[in-house]
Amino acid sequence: MAEDVKPTRKNLMAIEDRIELSERGHDTLEQKRDGLIMEFMDILDQAQDVRSELSDDYKTAQRKLNMARAMEGDVAVRGAAAALQEHPEITTQSKNIMGVVVPQIESTKVKKNLGERGYGLLGSSARIDEAADAYEELLETLILAAEVETAMKKMLEEIETTKRRVNALEFKLLPELYDNQDYIEQKLEEQEREEIFRLKKIKGKKEDEEREEREAEQEAEEAAETVPADD
Amino acid sequence: MSTSGTSNPEYVNARVRARRAALFSDDEYQKLVRMSPAEIARRMEETEYEAEINALGTRHSGVDLIEYALNRNLAKHFDDLLDFSEGQLYDLIARYLRKFDAWNAKTIIRGLYVGADRDSIETDLIRAGEFSDRMISRLLDAGTIEDVVTILNGTIFGEGLTEAYADYEETDLLVPLENAIDRGFYGHLLDDLPNSEPVQLYREFLVAEIDFRNARNALRLARSGADIDPAAYYIDGGKLFNPSELNTLVQNQEELVSHIRESSYGRELTDVLDELEDADSMISFERGIEKALLAYSKRLGNVHPMSVAPVISYILAKEREVENIRAIARGREAGLSQAEIESELVIL
Repeated sequence: MAEDVKPTRKNLMAIEDRIELSERGHDTLEQKRDGLIMEFMDILDQAQDVRSELSDDYKTAQRKLNMARAMEGDVAVRGAAAALQEHPEITTQSKNIMGVVVPQIESTKVKKNLGERGYGLLGSSARIDEAADAYEELLETLILAAEVETAMKKMLEEIETTKRRVNALEFKLLPELYDNQDYIEQKLEEQEREEIFRLKKIKGKKEDEEREEREAEQEAEEAAETVPADD
Repeated sequence: MSTSGTSNPEYVNARVRARRAALFSDDEYQKLVRMSPAEIARRMEETEYEAEINALGTRHSGVDLIEYALNRNLAKHFDDLLDFSEGQLYDLIARYLRKFDAWNAKTIIRGLYVGADRDSIETDLIRAGEFSDRMISRLLDAGTIEDVVTILNGTIFGEGLTEAYADYEETDLLVPLENAIDRGFYGHLLDDLPNSEPVQLYREFLVAEIDFRNARNALRLARSGADIDPAAYYIDGGKLFNPSELNTLVQNQEELVSHIRESSYGRELTDVLDELEDADSMISFERGIEKALLAYSKRLGNVHPMSVAPVISYILAKEREVENIRAIARGREAGLSQAEIESELVIL
């Protein structure tokens, strides 16, 4: 509150410094927010593409799996799935987008050829191969979707935080600092005006006293000149 | 029911003709593809699947009920065929139906490998082969894969399995065991076949099945680009490839396709080979060869009505019926369109 601030010139200078710093911070944060939004829009486009790809891949994989289960039987499909020995591996790293740390997911051993899937060719069919292909494709898209959507979520959180900071500066801190500045300036001006008035008053009083002194001296001189002779 | 004595093809074929007439027609499939799984199960209750649907209805529901009822009915019919037949005919039918023994052996091994319980493994068995119920019980009671290999010693799978078990122990992969079982089946398919004319045609049919299996595996290998030795999946007895030809052809899919085109199967497979080149999908090719095999067996059955040929033709047709109904039910459950399901059916 402006009334809590002591209206001193020192405080005014401190507030002016804070205003300058806050305005600079506000501009920087605004730029960061806009930059993040632009990056977010790019990631959003990518996420939408990956989402729709994921949905298509899931439908294809599920359809192929259902047909493999239908034509080969549930047991054959389960047996082929259980034969897998080398399971996919995932490693995560991180990268920095405008100060936001987002994950970068690398996958290995997702796509496999016939020899790496662990089931025999003699007792299986192309339906199982194609279901496995489709699920490997789905898994790759899923990993990509996880990366993109986590990045999107983190960006969104950062945009929210930055927006809150910009708003706090714009609508809370800076207005308060401006109010304090105005208050101190007004107070200082008022004090200045009071000082001038006081000085004027003293000066007037002094002049009045001098004039009265001069008048008294003059009257005394005139009285001395008009005294009559004794002869 | 015995390999000794004279064959009785007249009796068996009379029974097979009656059963063949009870198979679902095209119209029936057209109706089924429009039904939900529950409606399919209800419709099956009105057909010869009634007993199986009623027997399994309390334990299973939906598509599982349909699938298990289909498997049980298939097993019943094929068991009946072995019961009806005698002498050489029994041997010819049994050697083809041993593929269900192979299936059961693989299912039990897979079940043990993934740690499935006895009941769930048993549900997935199709008791249509030569293994007796006692033998299957012993296999189901086996606690380890090693025990299964020991029990199967003395069957057509024994020798190969014992050799493959060392590989399995080394790699912990089921592939050597599964391959050994499949090789056991195919390896004995053509053993000691007599030389009569109908049996020669039966041999041709088996050779065609082996050739189609080899062609299918070769194309899968060629498309995959995997560094696998084609000889590991080559089945002896076919006339389409020899092992060295296969080694070369697997490197290049175009050459492989043109080799199949130029073979004696080229005419029957022209359409599916065209489709394979255009659509780049193996599924339609597999469907095509299944259809070709079905047509071939039917033709053989018509040419030699008093031989094993009509029985084999019926076995294939019955298997196809089971696969078609299962595809319809699973397809409907998965929400596939009518057209998509119809494209998966193989109907002659």
